[in-house]
Amino acid sequence: MANFDIQMTVNGRQVSQSVSPHLRLLDFLREELHWTGSKEGCGAGECGSCSVFVDGVLMKSCLMPVAKAQDTIIETIEGLEEQGKLNVLQQAFQKTGASQCGYCIPGMMMAATAALRANPHAGREEIKERLGGNICRCTGYQKIFEATELARDVMNGTLPDDLLKQENDEGPFIGSNSFRIDTSSKVTGSLKYAGDMVMPQMLHMQVLRSPYPHAEILEINTSAAEAMAGVEAVVTCNDVPGIDGFGVFTDDQPVLARGKVRYVGEAIAAVAAEDLVTAKKALKKIKVRYQQLPVITKPEDAIKTGATVIHEDVPDNIVMHIPIRKGNVDKVMAESDHVIEDTYYTQPVEHAYLEPEAGLAYLDADGTLVIQSPSQNITHHRHKLAKILDLPINRVRMIMSAVGGGFGGKEDMHYQGIMALAVLKCRRPIRYVFTREESIIASAKRHPFIIKYQLGLSRDGHIQASRIHMLSDAGAYNCSSEGVMRKAAILAAGPYAIENLIVDAIGVYTNNTPSGAMRTFGAMQSQFATECHLDLCAEKLKMDPVELRLMNFLKEGDETHTRQKLGSVSMLEVFNSALELADWEAGISNSRGSTRSDLGNPGNRPPCTLGAREFPQETVSAGQSA
Amino acid sequence: MNAPLRKSVRQKRGRGVAACWYGIARTATIDRAGAWAELDDGGTAKIITGVTEIGEGILTVLAQIAADELGIKPQDVTIGDNDTARSPEAAHAGATRQTYMIGNAVALACREARKRLIKELAQEWEISEDDIVCSNGMISTLDKTRCITISEAVELCKNRGVVPVGSGSFTANHTGLDPENGSGSPWQAYVYGAQVAEVEIDTETGEVQVLGVWAAHDVGRAVNPQGVEGQIEGGVVMAVGQTLMEDYKQVDGYPSTMNLAKYILPTSLDVPEVSSVIIEDPDPLSPLGVKGIGEPSMIPTAPAIINAIYDAVGVRIHSLPATPEKVLAALREKRDSADSVEKSAKSI
Repeated sequence: MANFDIQMTVNGRQVSQSVSPHLRLLDFLREELHWTGSKEGCGAGECGSCSVFVDGVLMKSCLMPVAKAQDTIIETIEGLEEQGKLNVLQQAFQKTGASQCGYCIPGMMMAATAALRANPHAGREEIKERLGGNICRCTGYQKIFEATELARDVMNGTLPDDLLKQENDEGPFIGSNSFRIDTSSKVTGSLKYAGDMVMPQMLHMQVLRSPYPHAEILEINTSAAEAMAGVEAVVTCNDVPGIDGFGVFTDDQPVLARGKVRYVGEAIAAVAAEDLVTAKKALKKIKVRYQQLPVITKPEDAIKTGATVIHEDVPDNIVMHIPIRKGNVDKVMAESDHVIEDTYYTQPVEHAYLEPEAGLAYLDADGTLVIQSPSQNITHHRHKLAKILDLPINRVRMIMSAVGGGFGGKEDMHYQGIMALAVLKCRRPIRYVFTREESIIASAKRHPFIIKYQLGLSRDGHIQASRIHMLSDAGAYNCSSEGVMRKAAILAAGPYAIENLIVDAIGVYTNNTPSGAMRTFGAMQSQFATECHLDLCAEKLKMDPVELRLMNFLKEGDETHTRQKLGSVSMLEVFNSALELADWEAGISNSRGSTRSDLGNPGNRPPCTLGAREFPQETVSAGQSA
Repeated sequence: MNAPLRKSVRQKRGRGVAACWYGIARTATIDRAGAWAELDDGGTAKIITGVTEIGEGILTVLAQIAADELGIKPQDVTIGDNDTARSPEAAHAGATRQTYMIGNAVALACREARKRLIKELAQEWEISEDDIVCSNGMISTLDKTRCITISEAVELCKNRGVVPVGSGSFTANHTGLDPENGSGSPWQAYVYGAQVAEVEIDTETGEVQVLGVWAAHDVGRAVNPQGVEGQIEGGVVMAVGQTLMEDYKQVDGYPSTMNLAKYILPTSLDVPEVSSVIIEDPDPLSPLGVKGIGEPSMIPTAPAIINAIYDAVGVRIHSLPATPEKVLAALREKRDSADSVEKSAKSI
């Protein structure tokens, strides 16, 4: 398709340029004009990170063809500052600590600006509705609501602008709400994430991924892709010069599939080309012949005798089994007044950091390989890469770029190795930016668990013995499974004193998306079961679930389930503080109905209701200050 | 039937509570982190360490720690970080370890840099090092007879031929687990948490709304209370997502929730109001007494919600997420069989 000329005004500047019609407004702003403050989080209008004003109207720029922006006035996050100073809303985000990773913040700032332009007196519920098209994965939104309300009140003059200042400028600073030192870079859009970076002579990388959950690779033919004009390098596992394999605990995953694929989305080959379109076209020219293999998708099937083997060196498909044993469970369980058992299930969960994976890789002037990526573990990745590339460790330099949310999902080195191979092959800088779809299928998930729980209790509610059996789907590769099983096991029985205990945490290979590190590393799964089960026990014993916990909590000097003697234990104080904060009414669950007196206390939001909410008439005009 | 009465029949409220515990830093293995510090010209400081911000606010925490250790302000601290060729190892950004591991490493590095500065000053002023204190950008003798700015002190130190630099390495002495019985000391610092959740359930649609969460967490000494609250609020909401809506689905190994239209995340309209209280039980085994909050903040939320659902409508959801379909099915099952089956047996 032929280029066409486009004119628009961006952040007060006239722009006139010849562009390719396939570009979206977001691409034009980011790639052509290098206004990289607006972010791409999903490419589908779901997350709002790309929100900008088009003629004063809040729009998702990932949904708008650039041609539609002809002769419009565009405002982005970079246009919000007033004479080089943070505006009131930006200062309010700083004051309330409303930005964390910062990746959603440009879009969130635009949505909050739109909310206050539409109604300078918007209340919290209206603000929430107006921010409803913008996803934040870090903050829980609360401080964003507070920031918007604070800005509203300062702008309306109902609160003094002194409230935007830092509360403590004298020290000591530990214990005070010092402003985040990265806030201004996040509320102005000036912070560069890996996908925002460019270098001269930079190539673009794309990766061919497995369409099958389990298949032998019979042949990979890259010759047609390599012959294309604009293609600088095609890499496969044959380009690995050193010892292939990475992982957090064991190196069971090849940089690019070697001989077989074990999950849908596994990387097989990669192309580095002059532009993204050429790289995508070249991927289609790579021919792979597969022989599909039997697929295991349930952990209980993985451990059956004769089950298909997923990794040849692990014939039983068991990634890791962590046992904990204490006392005499069989005997004490049999003697307990009550034995209560049930099974609990948790699902795989996507980290959904708003920043999809991205990286910029290049060779330093002295030939050192450099990779800038939002890696949560550059030290570990350096070790792995040096081994894979057969380079001295100081010839590999990993730089952690700004991380747009991690939650454990950016601990795995699942693309940096591919970038390294390509850079070493073509010796030019290479950038690789995942799409949301690619990020979701290629990266590890929270481990799903099946937890069989059995507790023996005395008549009065003391825990006598505990037996916890956890089976978890590790997916196609180990990633952090070994550590996740360990933490799940150690913490499974909860902060309770238990003398007799059997815990097993077993992670197994399947052909599902790999499971890996995610915030709590197995502990939320195992303690979910424990805390639900304690309430079930309270029900069976006709007890207040609070009483049941209080009589069983660990205390100073007690031994943990791994026989570690504890020092100070704040559990009782913490628990009572939560109850006091919630103004908790003691009693048996599901026995009081609406007569329960603590329901509807302050600290609840109003429930959402069906039907349109009435807001005052909107008045929006371009360039109007928030 | 009038609207309020109908609402009281259809919408049910309930409350649940759950507790949690968590270990700080890497599990069942020795953990370590390094940092370098330099008291720089103009009353500023440089801190160099190997891994930092993933959004939680650790840069700010480290700046606050360095500021207090060196007697300057957080905004005067420059943090150079995250580069394996330019900074010392600090290991990884995870395991609720950064404030604990890197925070203590930075404190140790700053103390060494400060000591070097004070040593030169003590010789210049011909007094004991113990008689010199730094605070609020100033460095003075205890009796305040001499008082100069940190900037002047650094200049004085450099004129004596010494650059006030320091390094710190902090160790957490964790031990591995016995392979047979799991015994061991996986962490040296533990934290505890508890949360109450209040839900409203629409018994005709099965929809659960979490209206309020009240959270209490021991974080050790809290460096930035607002940042701690932010971690609690973010953790609670991530857990609300997992409890009520998030579900990564695969069919025979083929992912079917490949984008954010299919993989549903909590938005501003789904989240409860979160109230938090920070409990500070300092860690006795480290210089600062700090512990952490990033991960444990999301542990009690899911069971507190599930327990609240039971309190409201008398059904127990055993599998996450507690979707409207599951809640409705459980309500129907409860209605259909008035007899509740006591699942009680002597073995699994």
